[in-house]
Amino acid sequence: MWKKILAFTIPLTICLILILTSVFAGCGGKADKDKIVVGMSRSLSGPIAIIDDSAFRPVYETWVAEVNAEGGIYVEEYGKKLPIELKIYDDKSDPATMAQLTEKLILEDKVDFIWGGGGTSFIYAQAPIANRYNYVLITMEGGASSLKELLPGMPYVFVTLSFSDWYEMPVLADMLASKGCKSAYIMYIADLHGVEYNGVAGVELGKKGIQILGAKAVPPDIKDLSPVIKEAKASGADAFLCFAYPDQVFPAVGTSIELDYNPKVWLGGPGINFGFFHTAFGPMVEGVMGWASWNRKSSPALNELADKLYTGKPEDSNDWWGHAFYWAGLDMWRAAIETAGSLDNTKIRDILATQHLQTVLGETWFENGLMNRETHPGEVGQWINGIYEVVGPFDKATAEWVYPKPPWPK
Amino acid sequence: MEKFLDVVIAGLLLGGLYALIAMGMSLQYGVARVLNLAHGEFIMLGALSTWTLYTVFDISPLIAVAICGPITFVLGFLIHRTMFRKLLSSSTNQGIFESTSMLASFGLMYVISNLAFMAWGPEIRGYSYLMDTVSIGGALFGARRLVTLGFALAIGVAFYIFLSRTKIGKAIRAAAQDPATAGLMGVNINMVLAICFGLGAAMAGIAGVLVSMCYPVNAAMGIEYLTVAIIVVVLGGLGSIPGSFIGGFLLGIIGSIVSFIEPGLTVVAYYAIFVILLLVRPKGLLGK
Repeated sequence: MWKKILAFTIPLTICLILILTSVFAGCGGKADKDKIVVGMSRSLSGPIAIIDDSAFRPVYETWVAEVNAEGGIYVEEYGKKLPIELKIYDDKSDPATMAQLTEKLILEDKVDFIWGGGGTSFIYAQAPIANRYNYVLITMEGGASSLKELLPGMPYVFVTLSFSDWYEMPVLADMLASKGCKSAYIMYIADLHGVEYNGVAGVELGKKGIQILGAKAVPPDIKDLSPVIKEAKASGADAFLCFAYPDQVFPAVGTSIELDYNPKVWLGGPGINFGFFHTAFGPMVEGVMGWASWNRKSSPALNELADKLYTGKPEDSNDWWGHAFYWAGLDMWRAAIETAGSLDNTKIRDILATQHLQTVLGETWFENGLMNRETHPGEVGQWINGIYEVVGPFDKATAEWVYPKPPWPK
Repeated sequence: MEKFLDVVIAGLLLGGLYALIAMGMSLQYGVARVLNLAHGEFIMLGALSTWTLYTVFDISPLIAVAICGPITFVLGFLIHRTMFRKLLSSSTNQGIFESTSMLASFGLMYVISNLAFMAWGPEIRGYSYLMDTVSIGGALFGARRLVTLGFALAIGVAFYIFLSRTKIGKAIRAAAQDPATAGLMGVNINMVLAICFGLGAAMAGIAGVLVSMCYPVNAAMGIEYLTVAIIVVVLGGLGSIPGSFIGGFLLGIIGSIVSFIEPGLTVVAYYAIFVILLLVRPKGLLGK
């Protein structure tokens, strides 16, 4: 008799315990979670590893360490702070690999969030994937006017970095016009970036009556830039604008120095905004202009950010364009999670798309998927006394713009 | 006339660098029979080492030539004595050795490149040195580019004298013509092959020093210069050292002319020459 009772009771009790456990677990809220897993496909090797190394990586490493030191991000639905765990794959500088790895992170690894890959072409590959799976994607390095046109169809994608027609070029055109600059010569890299900046410069400078005396496309691996610089010099243009990457901008500066080409404005970028431009050219950088966003003098919060990112590190690590935007992008993400009290990407997307949040830049929001321009601490920079100052727009300048550019030091 | 002089001299300045890069590769293939796909990485090592020597230790790039040249020679020599010698002894014929050594050099390229990434990081490095302007017949040129041309010419001439006047040079020429017979005549063939590989690496290292004086450098730059080296080596004739010397200058001048007309077509012109040459004269300018 007892044997029969035991034979039925024990399995029944076990089943009851299992059922009750699952029922109570369901009633008690979300299954317990001890971390927020963020997936990234980054170019840790290959030709654009430099972007990862000098642009977003120093920011996310410092930012995540700081957040985790505080115990993590408070998520209401779990009733506690959750630290961030990064899951990073190397896409070897290949956008196609990056696209595959992004899908792997979402579908196989089932990460809670993804953060952006490095460079504009990577955004084009990654944004549709993130959007398809309803994952919020706050992009970091890169941006383009043609991407801006795609954003209405990708509500989960948010762009942090400034680019050509999104404030930069209109500000530059205003600055040049204010000094009576009449003409410009453009050298641009023959890729999406260069073609876009050249096109936007034509439109924006044209609006101010600034004549484009010449525009020359150069391939990414060009070695001898002297024919272009000589042509620019012969044109007599007031401004020389070099819309290219460091691999072309640096030789263009070097060739300009060699050929003593010293227009009233020498602007190039990206590249001029990095500390390694200063370490490479030393005092030769005086007066050279580039794209910018911030400076230690922009605000106390940005001065503190510079301390966090650059104190005790070589000057090479400085990036006075993107770093503040990337940090602000991560601040937005954190604020959206805390506001939502959830790790639900859709809820977080809705907050990012509609609410004003506090970041290192101050009150910040996304406008049609783009970080608002009002919060930008600057657009145009210039090396003045060895410091990369914000010189435009004038109301956000940290130093007075030196115009015309001083001669190259001998 | 001034424009013509301008374009031609600019071409010679660039061509000198190309010639030096290609001569090293040609020597490695012409004698050691290794189509060294890691050649660009030796250029990168020379360039980044010079950057470190100049920016950290304040050592002039001109002195760096005397440091980087011997170091890359020793490195190349040791690589041949260990890796390629083993492949040579295990290959049943020259064809097999050429293919296995090429594959091995392909792996070597990644090994060196990744080690450099670890050592220097992926940042673009540069420094300003000899930024003075020199006027030749009214045309302006950078002093540092003239220095690179001077070095390339001097090394080319010195190497020619080395090959034609010294005992090791004679052994190298003998090994290039017929390694088996040279071995029978008492030439230590393995040593000669390793010296040739080391000399090729040294030329790449020195070219890297000169490259760093004129252009930004980083750990990923090797592949770009490898492409140039292959084009010049094919142009001059696979394995022909004088052919590479002439081919380098020729490519520099052609590049300068095209760059003067339309910079966007410079690299296109390089590849067009490469394809046309393979179709019309596969053995190159001085190939046998």
